[in-house]
Amino acid sequence: MKKLLLLVIFSVLAFSYDATIEVVKKGFHVPKIAIEDSTSPSAVEDKLKNKFLKLLIGDIKVTSHFQIGDIVYRGDYNDDTIDSSILESKIELLLKCKLEYDSKHRLVASVKLLNAKSSNQIFEKFYAVSKKERYPFLAHKITIDINDYIGAPPVKWMERLIVFSKYISKGRSSIVIADYTLSFQKTIVEGGLNVFPKWANEKQTAFYYTSYNTLLPTLYKIDLYSGTRTKILSGSGMVVCSDVSKDGRKLLLTLAPNDQPDIYLYNLDTKTKERITKYSGIDVSGNFIDNEQRIVFISDRLGYPNVFAKDIHGDRVEQMIYHGRNNSSCSAFGKYIVYSSRETNSAFGDNTFNLYLISTQTDFIRKLTATGKNLFPRFADTDDTIIFIKHYKKESALGIIRLNANKTYLFPLKGGKIQSLDW
Amino acid sequence: MRKTILFSTILSIAIFTGCSQKAQEVTMTAPEKTGEIVDQKVSSTVTPSASETIVSEEEKIAKLKEEAKKIYFDFDKYNIRPDMVPNIEADAKLFNSDDAKPYAIKVEGNCDEWGTDEYNYALGLKRAKSVKDALATNGVEPNRMVVISYGESNPVCTEHTKECWRQNRRVEFDFLKNNQ
Repeated sequence: MKKLLLLVIFSVLAFSYDATIEVVKKGFHVPKIAIEDSTSPSAVEDKLKNKFLKLLIGDIKVTSHFQIGDIVYRGDYNDDTIDSSILESKIELLLKCKLEYDSKHRLVASVKLLNAKSSNQIFEKFYAVSKKERYPFLAHKITIDINDYIGAPPVKWMERLIVFSKYISKGRSSIVIADYTLSFQKTIVEGGLNVFPKWANEKQTAFYYTSYNTLLPTLYKIDLYSGTRTKILSGSGMVVCSDVSKDGRKLLLTLAPNDQPDIYLYNLDTKTKERITKYSGIDVSGNFIDNEQRIVFISDRLGYPNVFAKDIHGDRVEQMIYHGRNNSSCSAFGKYIVYSSRETNSAFGDNTFNLYLISTQTDFIRKLTATGKNLFPRFADTDDTIIFIKHYKKESALGIIRLNANKTYLFPLKGGKIQSLDW
Repeated sequence: MRKTILFSTILSIAIFTGCSQKAQEVTMTAPEKTGEIVDQKVSSTVTPSASETIVSEEEKIAKLKEEAKKIYFDFDKYNIRPDMVPNIEADAKLFNSDDAKPYAIKVEGNCDEWGTDEYNYALGLKRAKSVKDALATNGVEPNRMVVISYGESNPVCTEHTKECWRQNRRVEFDFLKNNQ
């Protein structure tokens, strides 16, 4: 009963709708789709099947490119006849799904997409994962494919892994990899204080993180496939990797060799570092912009944290944000910068840090959140999706903002508090 | 330092299992005075060794940590408040005492839970640096001090109150043997 209750609570919390500010007109038809489950009664565990179907519906909702309800129809996988109740509901696309284990104990999803009006099969595909715990990636991959079929903007970010650090208790944090809904999670580093994970390459085969388990903070690289850990460097004060160049050969680091936090460009080939900022206060969170010729970063050079930009090899510093009195976290993609801004000095309000989006080429500014502490925004590999950390009351959640659809989805973390993340 | 890295492939998943242990019933009986020597190795008279008469290094460090005064900061600030100056002076005196001189000093900056974490780590570092500089001005050898920031990861209080956050915005000290 308790488990059932937890499942219900999770279902309500996951995919819950957050306040949005702007309404964007959609430029294309949003088809109505439904799911038909054709899984044999004893083929897979009911609990697993129900979780998979719930996640698949959630994924399709998150694309914002379909209309979908919560009803799952039942039907024979090999019978393409469309049930009258589906036709009466004016459903245009029917996604038939069948889960089963194959002879290698892989979890396999057989999927057919049908035109509900004509019963014509649009495509049939088969998806497999080696461990059943990875079922979320079946749902994500199916969603990516049906989304591509209707020609909607890609949602390939759904199959990317999230790497995040979560505080467990005082001085203790683990590094975990997960899917974007946190339905799949695997702890990679545990024991002591491990923070600021950052993917080392586009393929997400390795990541950097800072370990506080020796006298000096140390930056390590973990290769997920070989299982090797390589020390990059250590230094007094603080060591954080805040960005990685597209070719994976240069890092933007926050270091403090003289107890002074500044941003450095670290060349992994030559193992040399170049100091990029030289202000006597705080300079942190460097992010590459403009083909990696410039960086945006956070500095308190005006007496409060704000977003600035500068050429990597130049001295001129440009203030990027003229809004807010405390903008302490940012991320850039193309011409866009998303940043977190403190709204009030009262830490007891319901609305303490909000996310805003600006364009570096216009005066465009858009408020993206409205409640809670919304921190650590990061773009996906497109400019229409942002991931962020939301702390609200005693809950810590991962948030996804779909900019074009003007919707936010939250995925609560069960236990612990998200410290930082990368996508 | 205990550290575990799980090096299984990305496709595998940890399986957590729990177990319960039933406590066994224990019956107490009075020991028999047989006069037998239970352990031959301790049959001779034992006199206290020199190490037992001297306070251990760990105890010395614990005592120093207890005596050192914490330095507290205002919200979002890293300058030393006037009311913290006496604490700095007392700490400088303690760190230059004979008891503390054999040790290096780890100056640890900490923050409350407000703010974004990387900025918080930098804020903690600036607090630690302010304290290090103030201690140096008061005669503590700079080369004895190393600064580190724990951001918001090391709170002394976890309540969601202003008083609690005030306690967390602090610099505190640890002491290291010089070969560490």
